[in-house]
Amino acid sequence: MAIDSYGYLDFITRQVIKAWVEREQPRPIPWTPLPKPLDQCTVALVCSSGIALKGDQPFDQEQERQNPWFGDPSYRVIPQGATSADVSIYHLHIDARFGQEDINVLLPMHRLAELAHEGFIKCSAPSHYSIMGYILRPREVHELEEVTAPAIARSMKNEGVDAVVMVPS
Amino acid sequence: MGLVQRVLEANGLATVALSMIPVFTKAVGVPRIAAIGYPMSRPMGKPHDADGQRAVLRCALNVLTTATEPGTIVELPYVWPETRAQAAKGGHVSPPIGQLLIRKPWLIPKLVSGDIPESE
Repeated sequence: MAIDSYGYLDFITRQVIKAWVEREQPRPIPWTPLPKPLDQCTVALVCSSGIALKGDQPFDQEQERQNPWFGDPSYRVIPQGATSADVSIYHLHIDARFGQEDINVLLPMHRLAELAHEGFIKCSAPSHYSIMGYILRPREVHELEEVTAPAIARSMKNEGVDAVVMVPS
Repeated sequence: MGLVQRVLEANGLATVALSMIPVFTKAVGVPRIAAIGYPMSRPMGKPHDADGQRAVLRCALNVLTTATEPGTIVELPYVWPETRAQAAKGGHVSPPIGQLLIRKPWLIPKLVSGDIPESE
């Protein structure tokens, strides 16, 4: 691989992630074929930047400050068309300046609308989703897998989503 | 994030992960990866660079069409124009876990080994 996964990480983060990579055991990978050509697909986005609509409940940063091993495993819905002024970023591990200036850096909703306009995809889903990517404790990992992710999947199925782009931060 | 992606895919949704740390995303076991050499906190590129962001998104979506087997990685051709030091400039991120580990460095092996404590 030409891309250096560790190129932009600080020393400590690099060591931690290297150890995590070495520890992961290979497991079966799920697979759903794209059901139709992209220009007939409804597309949703998921980001891990801890974005919430202003007025919606923030991700729980207070509990993480009290207990740094905790991370909020819930999710928020961001409606297609929300602007940078409509949202706040609640994530203690990222440099939020760029996303605050232009939400498309973290959740490219407007770019998705443009791709729909030019016919590259059929349309954007009405809803996109944000989680907060710092989840360590088994309890929160379990909630992410067993509660949050299935709820996002159900919501997407209800909105006729065919394809999903996951955007990290 | 990879865990969420696996659940979505298992529920009948075709998914692709953009990833700045593709070796990690791959290790989690996700079906499709669009790898990109951009710094953390800027997965889609620079603020207000609509053309650049749209190109990245288009490439990621294309992986949904071209990938034929689980675990596919496609490396996107875009290069970030800054070094690590330049990219990190002015944006000091100091999460609670970092402050804790400076105070109690003997907890570092817990984080590295994945033996995560319930609380401090």
